[in-house]
Order: sequence, then structure tokens, then C-alpha cells
Amino acid sequence: MPDERYKHLSLKKNRTILYAEQALLILNLVIAFLLLFEDKLVIPYWLQPLGRAHPLLLHFPIAFLTLAMIAGVVRFGRTGDKTVVFSLAEQGFLLAGTLLTGITLIMGLFLSREGSYSGEALIWHKWAGVIVFFLASAIYVLAFRNWFKAPAAWASALLMIAGLLATGHYGANLSHGEDFLMEPILSHKPARVVPIEQAVVFADVIQPILANKCSGCHNTNKLKGELVLGDSVSLRKGGKSGKLFVPGDADMSLMMQRLHLSMDDEKHMPPSGKPQLTREEIGLLALWIRYDANFHVKVTELGLDDSLRTLATAWLKPVSNEPFGFAAADAKAIRELNTDYRTIMPIAKKSPALEVNIYNRNAYSKKQLEEMSGIRDQVISLNLNKMPVKDDDLVSVSQFKNLRRLDLNFSDVTDKGLSSIKSLKNLQTLSVSGTDITYSGLSNILSELKSLRTVTIWQTSIKPSDLENLRKDNKAISFNEGFRDDGNSPLKLNPPQISNPTTVFSQDIPVQLRHPVRGVQIRFTTDGKDPDSIHSPLFDGKTTIDKTTTVKAKAYKDGWYSSDIASFDYLRNTYVPDSVRLLLPLNSVHQAEGAYTFFNRKLGAIGANNPAWANFWAGVRNNDLVLVSLFNKPISLSSVGLHYMLEEKTGVYPPQLVEVWGGENEKQARLLLTMKPSMPKKDGDPTLKILVGSFKTQNVSYLRILARPYKVKKDQHLLLVDEMLLN
Amino acid sequence: MDKEIVEHGFSWNRRRFLSAMGIGIGGMALGSLLMPDLFDGNGLEAGSAPGIPHFAPKAKRVIYLFQNGAPSQQELFDYKPKLREMTGKEIPPSVRGTQRLTGMTAGQSSFPLVGSFVDFKQYGNSRAWISDLLPYTAKIADDLCIIKTMYTEAINHDPALTFIQTGSQQGNRPSMGSWLSYGLGNENKNLPAFTVLLSRGIGNGQGVYSKLWSNGFLDSVHQGVQFSKGEDPVLYLRDQDGMSRKDRREMLDHVSELNELSYTEFGDPEIATRIKQYEMAYRMQSAIPEVMDISKEPDDIVKLYGPDCLVPGTFAANCLLARKLSENGVRFVQLYHQGWDQHGNLPFEIAKQAKDVDQASAALVTDLKQRGLLDETLVIWGGEFGRTSYTQGTLTKENYGRDHHPRCFSIWMAGGGIKPGMVYGETDELGYNIAQDPVHVHDFQATVLNQLGLDHEKLTFKHLGRRYRLTDVSGKVVKGIIA
Repeated sequence: MPDERYKHLSLKKNRTILYAEQALLILNLVIAFLLLFEDKLVIPYWLQPLGRAHPLLLHFPIAFLTLAMIAGVVRFGRTGDKTVVFSLAEQGFLLAGTLLTGITLIMGLFLSREGSYSGEALIWHKWAGVIVFFLASAIYVLAFRNWFKAPAAWASALLMIAGLLATGHYGANLSHGEDFLMEPILSHKPARVVPIEQAVVFADVIQPILANKCSGCHNTNKLKGELVLGDSVSLRKGGKSGKLFVPGDADMSLMMQRLHLSMDDEKHMPPSGKPQLTREEIGLLALWIRYDANFHVKVTELGLDDSLRTLATAWLKPVSNEPFGFAAADAKAIRELNTDYRTIMPIAKKSPALEVNIYNRNAYSKKQLEEMSGIRDQVISLNLNKMPVKDDDLVSVSQFKNLRRLDLNFSDVTDKGLSSIKSLKNLQTLSVSGTDITYSGLSNILSELKSLRTVTIWQTSIKPSDLENLRKDNKAISFNEGFRDDGNSPLKLNPPQISNPTTVFSQDIPVQLRHPVRGVQIRFTTDGKDPDSIHSPLFDGKTTIDKTTTVKAKAYKDGWYSSDIASFDYLRNTYVPDSVRLLLPLNSVHQAEGAYTFFNRKLGAIGANNPAWANFWAGVRNNDLVLVSLFNKPISLSSVGLHYMLEEKTGVYPPQLVEVWGGENEKQARLLLTMKPSMPKKDGDPTLKILVGSFKTQNVSYLRILARPYKVKKDQHLLLVDEMLLN
Repeated sequence: MDKEIVEHGFSWNRRRFLSAMGIGIGGMALGSLLMPDLFDGNGLEAGSAPGIPHFAPKAKRVIYLFQNGAPSQQELFDYKPKLREMTGKEIPPSVRGTQRLTGMTAGQSSFPLVGSFVDFKQYGNSRAWISDLLPYTAKIADDLCIIKTMYTEAINHDPALTFIQTGSQQGNRPSMGSWLSYGLGNENKNLPAFTVLLSRGIGNGQGVYSKLWSNGFLDSVHQGVQFSKGEDPVLYLRDQDGMSRKDRREMLDHVSELNELSYTEFGDPEIATRIKQYEMAYRMQSAIPEVMDISKEPDDIVKLYGPDCLVPGTFAANCLLARKLSENGVRFVQLYHQGWDQHGNLPFEIAKQAKDVDQASAALVTDLKQRGLLDETLVIWGGEFGRTSYTQGTLTKENYGRDHHPRCFSIWMAGGGIKPGMVYGETDELGYNIAQDPVHVHDFQATVLNQLGLDHEKLTFKHLGRRYRLTDVSGKVVKGIIA
């Protein structure tokens, strides 16, 4: 039973309400009229601001109508005062909302006649708005009849909300651009990335720039300036102000002019406040127009040093997060397939694509490939570098139909096996360097592998002439033949080396020379002269020497320049003292092994950066080097030598004086030998020197060797000694 | 007590649940507004052992040919005809600015400019100017991206070197290679992800210390493993005499059991690391000989790298080895070549230094290319800072020196998704200041990480209460050099 009071109130019609209802009726008629004669409508300029207030006003009817619908639904199922309050609310909101809807509608119709807007979205928006208005009017008339119960209220509310949503949505599309609402979500998807090889300048570079910065206004819905910046047809057509561009002449093109106008200029595009084109983007547009505004040319068809190509390549993002058309493999399966010698990893977080590396020749077997059938769709990169992969194994490789990259370098595959990977339609990079693949084997499969872009064929039998054919027949593929020694630019061999662990010896020693390069001849001398290829003997490993000797050696090989001369000091030291001590200290930074340095058979080398320099040279500067050696059994000594370094530039000098004292014991020791080596030339090259002196054979148990660093006035020079030679 | 707990459970009615949940979700939403990546789960921390790139990488591996001591850009890549013209003239104060000087030149009373003793020519499609000291590098100009505008903050070797390697001048931070090892994990489980090779040239050298390839606060599996030139490329890897492979296996199994026990007891992650390292060392025992073996290299390789590549311990040999390691899945191969510190005697020393490295550096790029590996391997060549445009010490007709210069220096990169055949950045006419497109050390690091699919802002590790990155708190990816 309807509440009496409610009935009374719903029928309440004061003066204001009556006027409003009259106005509503008139609005209905006016709108119907306007819709009928829309085409004939011409909006005078002074009425245009009214039309433009449409986006301002439209929020009110939306709010009012929504509130009215809520109240309309809620008033059922309430009792007493509450019903009354909600009914009154509904009536008020509905009436006001409908009136405002009508006014907004008229304003919208005015605005649409201005011509800035057109297209499908406008039509949808207009008719949705019209429906909302008439629906609201109808509800107002019907909602307070007695038969109007909860179900009817729900139904009209739902209809109304749907209408409001539709109108609002299309309206928003008009003012903010299509997909404005969902854009944050849609654009969150990784952008479509085109491999540079397939990229078309217009479709993949120019169009996306326009879509990003221009099509918000210049689209089929909005048509600002009667211009659509969409496909090639609309671009060629231009807009209200004329053709967009003069192919080949960017400077004369309207588009470029508008882009280059100053920001204050009203005609500057995009309008101030909208995102502007970057310098790069403007450059790309200009270059593209200069390139005859070609709609079909591919990036890779441009010259290698073409500016457009360079810029376009830079603009196209690297192929990252390439969308793959397959689902991720089971994580557990991947984990189980991972072994010490087979690593399987996703290429990036959240990427279904997998790359597989197989290592260790000895652990390789065909099974390693077969076992991966469970992830055959996901593998996009397979590395079999240096694995003993047989032709049959490639049948298992062909199961990875999404493979992008296949490395078969230095594997055992031949032409026969290669034919089974013809089916790898997605293969982009194929490496067959160092295999027995031939020209015919390779050219057979290339025509089938449409995605292939890079092939490496270094160290194969493919001749330069074959390569030319390959390049001619497969323009999209870049072949890398790698380094080939044409013999035209010979290199200099490095000097020979020695493999004697030490060159200090007590009895005969074999000379062990070697050279790391295969097939090198070593020629050498033992008389201190420089070796040459005519007079010097060929080293055959049979030479032994028995006395202190400087061996000089030089390496020769056909197709190479001969090496520099290497010089090795073979130092004979027959006697090693039973005990040694130094009477005066060594220089604090040249300690080496102290007194033991001189008989440890470790030779120093030139160069302060060389570890052998720091560790093997014993040095003195401010005092003499005085070494006392004792022998348990007397030795027959007839010569004493010192091995020292000479580096004039850094002040490493020969000793000024060497004295050798010997005898049965300290007291009986007498001077056996005095040596005064010649001083070095200025700016001479650093060298290692041997200073030897002989005397009549003496039996000694006590030996004292004194070496005095070189001193001119106050200039103290450094003396560095690594070995002493007692014979 | 139980009663209270049960009652507490009952007191969770719908209303309370919803309101608590509302606050919770609200808090999370607010948090995500403040930290946009809060729920991306892209941080690597918390034991995500096999690192996976944040996004699809261009490069999978890096070979860093570090030229230790700071090669002089004026003699190698930064052609300055104007500097030559002005040789002997004092550097204008407006150019020198307030640059802090090292102790070696701070006391110098005059700073005469000195142009390069060597000529430059243009090469490749990019018409890059390259010095006559680098004939082989010049040949691969179209594969190189030469950056002329690197700059750093430190003016002495150790801090500068530490800075470029670890992102901090002070040390104790993980090296670049360790960050990569942490971020990407091992590609080959039989080799360490980060290896180090040393060599030295004839020029004035500066030390390199193992702190440069330290794992810092990262797990010690990420430490750089130094390969030496002797019979044992990796120290302590060989079995002692008399120990068979089987004995070794058994020993490892027992040791590992013991380690497991102490791990369960103490939970120290370093114990787990230790177990892993023993296992890897065991696998390395068979992998290393295979990698180190150069006897199977084709003869052309010797011609390509130069004969020194067969002499262990030389830069050329290290380049060849670097290629072999990289090809076998070592993520980061770090070379150091010492001897570039030409304070004096520059013309003589730099010529030798350049000769030492030129052929092999170029060969490495060519070699990777002919194996189809260059596109996924990033090769970097460069030092820790540059050298001054004015001379250090006396300037004579044929001799001069250059001091340390942080404001600009040249490096090159090749492969790994870096734009080939380009020169990036420009210095002023005297080669003293950057005129255009500066690249800070952190920018450089961010770019390297980016090429490997790592976001330098997300590759973090929490230590002592804060999250650390290789790029500290700055660094921008240098988009201009990315292909």
C-alpha cells in the first residue's frame, strides 16, 4: 500500500516545479526540432561560446542524474519519513538533471557544428546524449506513478547509468583522444619492436612519431584542421591549409614549417601545452620528406652512411623484450634440464624465451639435444660452439622451431646435416665458422631461411668468389668471412725464447731454445756476434756449452719478417760456497735474498716494472758490497765473475772497482784479482753485463769479493748484481 | 592463555577484517606511489642465485681491456690540431679553470701546451680520427664507438681505478665484474663468471691490486679469479701429486658433508659459498685445460693477434685467452695492461705501449666478429682518466710528458649492442674540457649494465643498512651510443 503521506508529497507541485516542468517540455520539443534540422543549423559567432561551455556544464547533469537514480532505487524498501525524503530527492535531482541534460545537449549540438569535431566518436556521443535526455524525461514522467515499483526503478537506473557511461566515454574520446581511458594500461604493454632488418621507414619510424605526437588531434574522429595524420593516403591528402609536404623538399613542406615556427606562434605545431617533437624526431621527419616521403622504403635499403638510416636505426629501439608467440615452459622442467654442462636460462625476467649453452666437448652427446623436447618451443638461442655435433644431431636441433640464433662454430657438421635445419624459419644468426660446410651446402639452405640476417663462414672452404655469389643471391644476409691471411702484410716474428729452467750451470748445459710459432727456424751464435740467416747455424737442439757464454738467437719463417735478436747469458758457476755472509748492508729496497742472492741461480731482468727486477737483484749505493764465502773443502779457483745490470739513464752503473781476496782463511787471504770495468756511454741501451777476471789457480777456503758502486764526486750510483760466478 | 588466543581469533569479525585489510591495501598502495617498483620484484637480493637480466640484453658478456695508467688521449683518439699549433704557449687560465692538480705538477710554475708528436688520419665511415700509433685499431674503425668525453672525479691512479671499477673511490665495493656475476650468474657452470688477466708493457707502470676484482660485500663466489701465465693458470687448482680424480671427488664429498653440518649449525652463507666454490674448482679442473689450450687455434689466429699471443703473460696472449674464456661463457673478462703512465718520456713510451696492444685489441674484435659473437659481447678499451694538454716537466723538441687529467679521456667500445662506427662527444680545441655530450664514469657503468639487460638502479645489494649499486646514486644510460 502506498503511504498516504508519500502520495501527498509526490503530488506536491509548487510554482517552481511547475515552471521547471514546462521548461522541460519545451526543451524536449526544441531538441527534437534541432535534431531534425541539424544540417541546416548555422551557429552565429556570438553563440559559439555557449557551445564551448558544453564541456563545463556536462558534469552537472551526470552528477544529478546519478544521484536521482540512487535515490529512486533506495526509496523502495524504506518506510515512513525515509521514503519521503528519498522520493523528494529523486524528484528534485531528476528534474534538475534532466533540464541540465537538455541544455548541455543543445550546447553540444552547437559545439559540434563548429567543425572542429567529426567522425564516429562524435556521432556516438551525440546520440548517446540524446538518448540520455529523452530517457531522463521519460523517467521523470513515469517514476511517480503508482505502478512504478522497485524492478522498474532498478531497470531505469541501470539504463540511465549505461547511457551516461556511454556518452561520457565517447565524449572523453573526443576531447582527450581515443583510448585515453585505457591508454596507461595499453601502453604498458611492450611497444611493438621491429628488428632493424625488417623495419620500414614510414611504418616503423615516421608513423609512430605522428601517432605519438600528432594524431591526438589529427585523427579520423577529431580532424583538427581537416587533417588526419594516419596512413599514407591521409598524409598525401593534407588538410585545410593544403598539402602537408613537398616530397624531396623538406624546407618547403608545410609540416616542417609548422614544426619550426616559434612556440609563441599560434600556428606552431603541436600547440603549446602539448608534448613537443624532439630534435631527433623533427630530424627524422625532415630527412624522410627529403627522401621523397617514400612510404615503402626499408631502413636497410638506404645507403650505409645515409643520415636517415643512421637516425632511423638509432630511433628504433633495440630488439628488447621481443614479444614471443609462445608461453613459458614449466620452470621445474627447465630446472631439471639444467646440468653442469648444459645451461638453460630465460633471456630476461618474465620472458618465456630460453637460451641454451652446451659446454665441454667430452661431456657432449646427442642426448643433450633430444632431452630438451619439452622446451622445444621456447629455445631461441642454442650454442654448440666447438661441440662434436654430428650431422644426425641437427635433426634434433631442427625441433627448436623458434630458434633465432644457432652457433655451430668448429663443430663436426657438414652440408648433409645442415639441410635438416631448413625448417628453422625464425633463425636470424647462423655461425658455421671452422666447419666443413661448403658453398653448395650453404646456398641450398639459405633460400629457405627467410629470417636469416647474419652468417659467419670464417675458416670454411667457401672461396671469395663463392662468397660474392652468396652475397648476390642473399641480399638481406650479411656474411662474415673473417680474417684471412693474404700474405701481403707480413708480421715480425717475436724473438726466440729459452726453456732452460736456469742458465746458471756447474757442468755442461744443453742450450734449449724454442719459438712459440709453428715452423720457425732459429739461428744462433755463441761468439757474441749477431746471428744472420747465412752464416749462423740452425738450432737443432743438439748444442751444449761448458763455459760462460752469451747465446744470441734470431727466428726466421717464410711469410714473416725475422725477429729481433734475443740474447741469453749462460753462466757457468762451478762452486757454490758452503756459507755466505755480507759484511756491509744492502740497499734497503734491493735486498733480494740477501747474501744468498749471488748463488741462487735466479737471474734478474731489465726494467723496473719487471718482478724479476725487484726480486733477484741485490743492490748497493752508499757502501761497498762485500761478500764473504766459506768452503768446507778448499776449491781450486781460477776466475771470478759478476753478472750485473747497466741502465745509465736511471743511474744503474757497473762497479767502479772489484777486488777478490782469497786464501785458506781470513787472515791469510790475499788480493787475487782487481777489476775496473769501463764506464758506460751516455744514453746507451740498458743491458745485462758479465764481468769476469781470471788469475792463476788458487786453492781457497775463504773468499772475499768486494764490489764498489760507481761514484763521481757526490754522485752515488746504484750497483745491481744477481749472480757471482766462481770457476 | 589459550583461551585468550581463541577469543582473539573470534574477535576477528568481518568488519574488523575489512577495515584492517583496507588499511593494509591502502598502505601498500601509498607505498607503491612512493616507490614505483615496489611490487615489481625486480630487486635481486634475497638469494636469487642465478641472476636473470631485468630485460632482454644486447650483450651477454664483457671483455674489458683496461689500459692501466691512463693512456694519453691526445696521442691516440682525440685529434687536436689547434693544440699542436699552440705547442709551447701557456695554457689559458680560462681553459684550465680551477682544476685540482696532482702533487706532481702542482708545483710547476708554467704549463706550456704540447700537441701530439704523432699524426692522425681519418678512418671508416664515421671518419674517426685515429692516431698513427694504432694502425690496426684504425682498420676496425667501423666496428668501434669511440667516446671522447669520458670524465671522472679522481686525479690519482688508485682512486680513479677503484672508481671506474667499483663505482667508489674508496674501495671495498664490488667490482663491475662482481656486479655482473651477481646480476647474471654463471653462463658456464665450469668456469667462474668473472676472471682477471694481467700484463704489463714497457712504459711507466702503476700497480693493480686484487681489491680491484674484489667481490666487496657480495657473496665471495662473485670474486674475480685471476689467471696467471705460468704452468698453473689458476693457482691451487691442480691436484697434488699422487691424488687421483676419484680421491679428489671423495675428499670433496666428505668436506662438503662437514660443511653442510656447520652450515646447518651456523647458517653463515659464506659456508654455502665455500661448498659451491669447491665444486666449481673440481669442474674447473677439467674445463681450464680445454680453455687454455691454444694448440688447436688455426694458424691465421697467430697472424691475426700477432705472434706474441703465443707467449703467455703478454697482452696479446691475454686477448686471445679472453676470447676463449668469453666464448666459453665467462661473463666478465677483465684485462689490465700496465705501463700507460707517461709523466715523462711520453713519445718513446706511448709508441711502445700502443704497439703492445694495438694489434691484439683489434684482433679480438675481429675474432669475435668472425665467430658471430661480437653482437653479444661488449668489448671495452680504455684507462682510468686522461692526460693533460700541457706538459709535465720540461718540454723539449722531441720529448715531453703529460700529467693526470680527469676532465676528459677517450675510450672505445665495440659490439654488445653499442652503435658501431661512431664517435661520441667532443672536447674543446685544446682537448682540456668537454664541449659536448659528457659521459661520467657512472653513466658509463650504467650503460654497460644496460647492455647486459640490467637496470643499474635495480641491481642493488643491501649492506650495512643501505642498498648499494655500482653507480652509487647517479648515472644515466648513454642512449646516444646504443644501437
